[in-house]
Amino acid sequence: MQQPREKVDEWEPKIIAFLCNWCSYAGADLAGVSRLQYPPNTRIIRVPCSGRISPLLILRSLQHGADGVLVSGCHPGDCHYISSNYVARRKFAILNNFLDYLGIEKGRVQFAWISAAEGKRFAELVQKVTEEVRTLGPATRLVRKQG
Amino acid sequence: MKELEIAKTEVVSLLNTLIRKYKVFAPVEQNSFITFQEIHAGSEAFLDYINSKRPPKEIFFPQSERLFSYDLSKGEGWGVEEPTLEEKQKIIFGIRPCDARSLVLLDNVFDGQLYKDPYYTDKRKNTTIIAIGCNQPSSTCFCTSLGGGPFSQDGSDLLLVDIGQKYIIQVVTERGEKLAKEHNNFKEAEDHSLSLMRDNIETAEALIKSKIEVQKVTEKLDSMFDDPFWDLVSEKCLGCAVCTYLCPTCYCFDINDEVIAQRGERVRTWDSCAFPNFTLQASGVNPRPSSKERLRQRIMHKFNYFVANHGMAACVGCGRCIKECPVNLDIQVVLNSILNRQDIG
Amino acid sequence: MLNTSVAIRDIAKKLLDEKKVDLIIGFEKGSVPLRSTPCFVRSTSEADRLIWNVNCENNLAKYLPKIKEKVGIVAKGCDVRSIIGLIKENQVTREQVFIIGIPCKGMIDRRKIEVKLDGKEILEAEEKDDTIILKGHNLKETIKKEEFLHDSCKTCTHRNPVIYDVLIGDKVVEDQAADEYRDVKEFEAKSHDERWQSFSDEVSKCIRCYACRNACPFCYCQECFVDSSQPQWIGKTTNLSNTAIFHIIRAFHAAGRCVDCGACDRACPMGIDLRRLTKKMEMDVKDLFHYEAGISLEDVPPLATFNPDDPQEFILV
Repeated sequence: MQQPREKVDEWEPKIIAFLCNWCSYAGADLAGVSRLQYPPNTRIIRVPCSGRISPLLILRSLQHGADGVLVSGCHPGDCHYISSNYVARRKFAILNNFLDYLGIEKGRVQFAWISAAEGKRFAELVQKVTEEVRTLGPATRLVRKQG
Repeated sequence: MKELEIAKTEVVSLLNTLIRKYKVFAPVEQNSFITFQEIHAGSEAFLDYINSKRPPKEIFFPQSERLFSYDLSKGEGWGVEEPTLEEKQKIIFGIRPCDARSLVLLDNVFDGQLYKDPYYTDKRKNTTIIAIGCNQPSSTCFCTSLGGGPFSQDGSDLLLVDIGQKYIIQVVTERGEKLAKEHNNFKEAEDHSLSLMRDNIETAEALIKSKIEVQKVTEKLDSMFDDPFWDLVSEKCLGCAVCTYLCPTCYCFDINDEVIAQRGERVRTWDSCAFPNFTLQASGVNPRPSSKERLRQRIMHKFNYFVANHGMAACVGCGRCIKECPVNLDIQVVLNSILNRQDIG
Repeated sequence: MLNTSVAIRDIAKKLLDEKKVDLIIGFEKGSVPLRSTPCFVRSTSEADRLIWNVNCENNLAKYLPKIKEKVGIVAKGCDVRSIIGLIKENQVTREQVFIIGIPCKGMIDRRKIEVKLDGKEILEAEEKDDTIILKGHNLKETIKKEEFLHDSCKTCTHRNPVIYDVLIGDKVVEDQAADEYRDVKEFEAKSHDERWQSFSDEVSKCIRCYACRNACPFCYCQECFVDSSQPQWIGKTTNLSNTAIFHIIRAFHAAGRCVDCGACDRACPMGIDLRRLTKKMEMDVKDLFHYEAGISLEDVPPLATFNPDDPQEFILV
């Protein structure tokens, strides 16, 4: 099957968002239903809980060419699975510090808590993150190059 | 052709001359250890060394090698691209005789009667090997037990012997002779130089204390497959790939596709029989489930199976595995244990 | 003066005789100078192989996960902390392990000696009090042990085993003043670009032999993420992306568990500064969650628990 040639005149950031099913994904859905505008650069992947997020998912996204990664879950205390997001918060803290330590630009990988009622906040957040990633430019540091 | 000689002070300019016509690989100091790299100036070569950390097999059999790539995104079919042939003639300068022999050994595998690997043979056929013999073999060297020696000519086109201010050049092959004739910095060796050379060779060979009767090891291994010996000797093995990746004669590889979206490449990468999943089959069965089976495999392959298939042990006695093994699992100790093993039953 | 090797042999023989253990894991003389090698002893006659010296740098706790036998293990301060971690992670039970604890003044980094000798080969090494006498071709040099210790030993804060069943020798003075995170802080002071460049240069040396992973007592997964093919998390080639992610994830998997025994660093044949990564993990776990690995059998590993007040300034709320 022939794929259409990609016309890339101007680079647009590609952002992968891992959203927890119960809060953040519902919040994104609410943004859509409310017809709120936000940049189309974000591709959403639904996961059961932010506690499911492994650094492997985040790094693989960067390896495969994501310019930014957003991870979002329920607010602490509101996790559908009671305490998973608390444990996730610890993992995220360690990973966030570590990536910064190694020289991955601040703003490439971001974490948020978005509830199911926060449709407007989700749109604003995506706007903010997209602009930050746009300023950083295309990701080069962990991308797997060919050859 | 008679032996030639060249003053050490002229080696840099010799290399510079060679670099103009050939792709020259020489030992280079990088990150406080020695590896073989392409040099662009004679002064980059570092010749005052025992041996390189990484084996020179990687010049012909790189750790990661692209077999072909494809690109679907161009919209013109698969867009398959194969790597271009190595056209330029190459020289490997300063390789040790053990490593030169390892290339002859690898030729059995990659350039054999039935199978010829073009990715290997392309690089190999255009290469001249200029080895430098070892005046001071390391205490971990045991090349003489494997049919080699600090001044073995196997695999070299020219063999250099360091006699202090000069190198004596032994011309081994026609290819070496052709190269030697191209260069007029080579003079005919003086008698005095030749006698120094013979002294050096004698001293060096005497320094290798290790004398393992490898032929007896091969014979003993014929009946040792089920010997409980393997449980004991493998207990401390960590199952990493230090010995296999740094070994100049190990050649197992894996083939994978590395794909990102619509572009991918098929790559060949080094693999190690020490890894647990090396023999993991699609059914889930693993015929070598523990370090016992895997260490047994390593030893049997090198000192029994390869001998049966190719007439030589798959080891050149370079000692890298001994130096670098994180738990000091010494192959010489294993071989001696095999020799001392009492026959069971 | 106590001869530690003899003391270890005596206790080993006693334990095997009394059938308190089936196996003793210790060290015996290596096959080359400045090396000792792990040794597995199952009978009193074999126990005479056991020794102790400044080359006993491996972490023998590596051999404990999933072990079925009752085992006596010779363990220095850092090794004991690993054993505590493994017990907490249910890889071995406290009852299975008879800890022969050795207060440790540090192990020698033979690579530092090789650098000092500028490539001259060491044919003989003899320990004498605080020094080591090195001999080779046209070489005789005496060096001070404390100048050639592994970096992890120089800043060690738990030289004495935290728990043990028998202690061989007197406890040594703990050096609490050493700034064990000095290198991490120095690295943090560099710019993002400098850090990335330095990290890339360092991991570019990697040959993916996985000696670091295999030497670590905490790397005991049945299937390591690098071997996963469905999905394949990282490729097998040695390009920077694959290798960098391997090291990032390996360090991450050790977070909260790593006790800085240095086994990874010592195993690496290419001399990669792995502790630059693991030390950062250790520092963060201490700063953020006030946890130190391998000290207590009771506390919960930090990434398996939480505190409602955990720091979250980095999270976009």
